Amino acid sequence: MYRYDEFDNEMVSARVAQFRDQVERRLSGELTEDQFKPLRLMNGVYLQLHAYMLRVAIPYGTLSSRQMRMLAHIARKYDRGYGHFTTRQNIQYNWVALERIPDLLEEIASVEMHAIQTSGNCIRNVTADQYAGAIDEEIEDPRIISEIIRQWSSFHPEFSFLPRKFKIAVTGHKNDRAAIKLHDIGIVITRNGEGEVGYEVHVGGGQGRTPFIAKKMTDFVPRNKLLAYLEAVMRVYNMLGRRDNSYKARIKILVHETGADEMRRLIEAEFAKIDASNMLTLPDKEAQRIMAYFAPPAYETALATSDILQAAQSANKDFTHWCATNVVSHSQTGYAIVNISLKPIGGIPGDATDTQMEAIADCAATYSHDEIRVTHEQNLVLPHVRLDDVKAVYDALVPHDLATPNLGLISDSIACPGLDYCNLANARSIPLAQDISTRFADLHRQHDIGELKIKISGCINACGHHHVGHIGILGVDKKGTEFYQITLGGAADENASLGDITGPAFTEDKVVDAIENLVDTYMNIRTSADERFIDTYRRVGMPPFKERLYAD
Amino acid sequence: MPTKHLIIDGATASDQWQTIADDISFDGTLDEATLDGKGAIISLARLEAEADTLRQRNTPIGVILRAGEKVGEDPHRLAPFLDMLSLVAIEFPVYRNGRGFSAARILREQYNYKGELRATGDVLYDQWQFMHRCGINAYEIDGDIPLATFTKAMDSLPDAYQPAGDDKRGILWRRS
Repeated sequence: MYRYDEFDNEMVSARVAQFRDQVERRLSGELTEDQFKPLRLMNGVYLQLHAYMLRVAIPYGTLSSRQMRMLAHIARKYDRGYGHFTTRQNIQYNWVALERIPDLLEEIASVEMHAIQTSGNCIRNVTADQYAGAIDEEIEDPRIISEIIRQWSSFHPEFSFLPRKFKIAVTGHKNDRAAIKLHDIGIVITRNGEGEVGYEVHVGGGQGRTPFIAKKMTDFVPRNKLLAYLEAVMRVYNMLGRRDNSYKARIKILVHETGADEMRRLIEAEFAKIDASNMLTLPDKEAQRIMAYFAPPAYETALATSDILQAAQSANKDFTHWCATNVVSHSQTGYAIVNISLKPIGGIPGDATDTQMEAIADCAATYSHDEIRVTHEQNLVLPHVRLDDVKAVYDALVPHDLATPNLGLISDSIACPGLDYCNLANARSIPLAQDISTRFADLHRQHDIGELKIKISGCINACGHHHVGHIGILGVDKKGTEFYQITLGGAADENASLGDITGPAFTEDKVVDAIENLVDTYMNIRTSADERFIDTYRRVGMPPFKERLYAD
Repeated sequence: MPTKHLIIDGATASDQWQTIADDISFDGTLDEATLDGKGAIISLARLEAEADTLRQRNTPIGVILRAGEKVGEDPHRLAPFLDMLSLVAIEFPVYRNGRGFSAARILREQYNYKGELRATGDVLYDQWQFMHRCGINAYEIDGDIPLATFTKAMDSLPDAYQPAGDDKRGILWRRS
């Protein structure tokens, strides 16, 4: 894992001191809420429905056990004993008191964490594949370039007041788990003909009220030129992005209105100028220095199969089910990637209590080379677990309700905070996720249905990613009543697509029935158990689903 | 109108410039007495239209680059005139409109413009240091800001990760 040096520590400490001064000026009345707003937003502090919300950055979703213990401590001391892991691999605390935030930031700084650029119209926390450094056939660990981007984009003097927020995601694997085509910039690590590692760059993806899949801008940028290329994209956007209407201010709108070819020409022209100056050419030694932090851990030599694991599976059917959904094969022989579902049946997607966080920290310290990852689907990962230890991890997770065997299944949904917390929402999301999960509580039924990604947003801003759900649900407000619109066929992976609206929206008491109706249709028409919901939808299209859904 | 406070290169300064509206003709009403020895800040459109005549005058000429909402004025349009300009005022109409940060860097780094780059408009305390890093050296600030406050704002971040329009090399480039 990356460790701060004296430069990083100095920058983070300076920011905490600066924010402490700003909060004091606000509390004394020297700053009005209007004047304070841009300052708090640069430090991840939002004013929500009921209280201030603080978002803490988890760069590219990687945590040590020490950091996870700190997050548990913060939940207990400053919040109501829990935190909420987000779709951008961060954590949010919903009940913090403004006057205590400077102390909170000082505490997290002691474990090399911060809340810088987790809000505001700037380059946000960079996200990456949660299986980075652990999955087979990865071209390069995406956290290396993500850390370089994190540093380059931190306190960037030119790009801290962009037209809108700006999100970058990176994958180093052909299977995209970071939803890179739904980001302002999506980066795919690749190799050129000479075998050199470089980057394919996609620009202009996004969700919200006008969703777009990103357009590929270049097939290959070498490692030492990527920052120059990114600076070119950012400058074109900062100069030309619209500022007359916040709904048309994201780079996806600029790419759409300008056209991908013209956008590519503008970026290339700016890139040529920046590149000629050489000022952003990354020194190879610095790249190597950061790369060394992400070297593989000291694995033990182990066999490809584990007698301990096999014996445990024969003895315990629940454990076998959990292994089938939540355990993924590792690039290192004798190891596994273990997914921890934060979607217990009837629970709140992404929430974790202080004691759960500490239990996970203990597991990571004992069994996973001290590493934890956060996924954009709001789950956690222990990336490096010996096959011999998988059962011990399971046994440690079960008492904390952290061993739900539902990864990728219908109850593993993404949901935004919705009307329960958010002052933008039109409808509740969390209770609906809980109702769906309870309706399909029978795990055998869930396993029978197979992979099915439900994503729920409480308003058109699409924080719950409904556009890219196999089944997407969007909360809308019609004359004071909550309605839910359903979309089918979205996907956030390497075959990214946007869902199609089924038809008229459903009332709250009918929407779970509607989801069950869609699932029943799928079960009836799928060619085999291997054909996933999304495959069936792509094969047959909307008509059979729609016909059954609105039959009454 | 709130009082404007001008800081140039880190020191309080008196303003040697006047903004001249497009409808005031240089030939007629605007004589040397009106300008009172000050330079004239004009719009980009006027600069493009009247550059040849303006080159004949001794009056120092500056231009204001408007940030706009949907579209901003393109700093590249200044290129043919930079030899006759000794001030470029960069407008920040609201603190959220950060086009001027890029405009400043383009003028300094791509055109090697050496004259005064003045931030004008809704210029926030917490933006001054970033503006400086983009090459801006003059600040038109609302109200009476003590110079000590300005100096403190300029030092609020002790270092920088990335190179920009100032002399900082950036942490990423200095470590190795």
